[in-house]
Amino acid sequence: MSTQNVRKSKFAKVSGLPWVLPAFVFVVGLIYYSIFYTFNLSTLDWNGLDPVQTKVGFSNFTKLFGDWVFWKAIKNTIVFFVVTFVIQNVLGYIFAAILHTEVKLATLHKCIVFIPVILAPATMAPVFRLLFSPQGLLQDIFNWLHIGITVDWLSKPGSALFILMIITIWNFTGMSFILYYAAMSQIDKEMLEAAHLDGAGNFRTLLSIVFPNCMGTTISLAMLGVIGALKTFDIPYLVTTGGPNHATEFLGTYIYRQGIRQAHLGYAAAISVILLVLAIGGAILMNRLNRVEGK
Amino acid sequence: MFELRSKKSKVALQLVLLIMTIPYLIPLVQMIIGSLGGIGVLNYKAVWNTGVVPTYFRNSVIISACVILLVYLFSMTAAFGFSKLHIFGKELYFWMILVALTLPEVILLSPLFVTFQRLHMFNTLFAVILPLAALQLPFMILLARNFDDGIPNELLEAARIDGASTFQTFLNIIIPLTKPIASSIVVLTLVNSWNAYLMPLLFLQSSDMQTVTLLPQFFQGEFTNDQTKILAAAVMTAVPEIIVYIVMQKNFEKGMSAGALK
Repeated sequence: MSTQNVRKSKFAKVSGLPWVLPAFVFVVGLIYYSIFYTFNLSTLDWNGLDPVQTKVGFSNFTKLFGDWVFWKAIKNTIVFFVVTFVIQNVLGYIFAAILHTEVKLATLHKCIVFIPVILAPATMAPVFRLLFSPQGLLQDIFNWLHIGITVDWLSKPGSALFILMIITIWNFTGMSFILYYAAMSQIDKEMLEAAHLDGAGNFRTLLSIVFPNCMGTTISLAMLGVIGALKTFDIPYLVTTGGPNHATEFLGTYIYRQGIRQAHLGYAAAISVILLVLAIGGAILMNRLNRVEGK
Repeated sequence: MFELRSKKSKVALQLVLLIMTIPYLIPLVQMIIGSLGGIGVLNYKAVWNTGVVPTYFRNSVIISACVILLVYLFSMTAAFGFSKLHIFGKELYFWMILVALTLPEVILLSPLFVTFQRLHMFNTLFAVILPLAALQLPFMILLARNFDDGIPNELLEAARIDGASTFQTFLNIIIPLTKPIASSIVVLTLVNSWNAYLMPLLFLQSSDMQTVTLLPQFFQGEFTNDQTKILAAAVMTAVPEIIVYIVMQKNFEKGMSAGALK
């Protein structure tokens, strides 16, 4: 014990400040500056160019809480998170289970599911606009099968959000798959064999033995999902620009619409403050869950 | 995972896998079919002849390389300091950095927009490099510090006894030992900065400064909504990414899944 302390203290005496300071100044400087600037902006009525900035106190926030588009964006974020989280992880889990079994062309399947993860949403957006339009491949397939459906879902408020969820699920199943795949490699083979010997079927084993052993991964994915849902911007902005009639509005797209498009910097900053509170709150909540699970 | 005895069930599982995978292929097929509409392969020629594709790629390469360099340098040095050296109030500094972990980039929009305009940084690559690096650093520092914590202090002590300075210890012991986590950091940073859309959209206004993620928009203006050419450009952007992924498959899968470390 004492020798360890002596050993440790020798190196622990060297000041780490010069090693930490560059990163600290860079991150804290840029990000905290922006956060405080945002707080300040949120109390102004300003278009970003006008020399006159009008102080309005908290009126941006009171206006925000009465703004139906803001509530629509919150509702969309929640629905979006719940649906994509469940479907994407169920699919990723099944892919991982199948690819842990001896199947043919496993690497090819793995690549196809994982490629969407590395492609930029911005690159794929025009593809999805075409795919889900009457000129797209889906329409061709429906016509060929003589199914009388018109593919115009992106222009309908009722279905547009649903299509964005499909795109997101396409985008990130590979991520869930890779994580579950890694988690399943850690599971004791003997435990599975014992379960099979006891007469547990494949589905029973997957549900009552494999799934509980992947709990840590599921929590990690939930955390990624919450943060991802709050950050959502590229896909709704590029595929539907938040429309039709704000049906696919998210906090990110609304901030962009208000702040950049309409130059209501103060109002956009007020939405940013709420988003910031939600993001940090979400992180703390998830951290708690994680610790409970860890015990 | 599945225990299958009969031939029939093996075929069934293979079939389920195929049916599940096809939807993931459809957008890629659509991209290629769409890019070959109208004048066919000539779409690619038309896109290439505009001469902008290499410029957009060059800008994306410069931005990604700079972001990776900044993130690597800062995360490695900071993680070493946080993990192994003495800092008064260490956890407070660490915590202050971690708060930025979940920060959505869209929050930086208005402040940076106004500030970059004042500093005449609009339309420079720095306006994209700096915020991208700052946003990625908190997580990478966390990853690297967790990794450094696993390096036994005895190793560093041995180096010290041999007369190595702190800097030499960092260079000769920490850097080689942290290669696995460094490769994850590089891959994650590469994917995030190469795919970044919002920052370039906002801060890079002229087409000689823009990045590959802005190519579709450029061609929307250039070819007034000729989908075939926009998709040809999308294919030209996607193919190099897919090739890099396939060549470095293991690194990518490991790196991307490091993104979910608790």
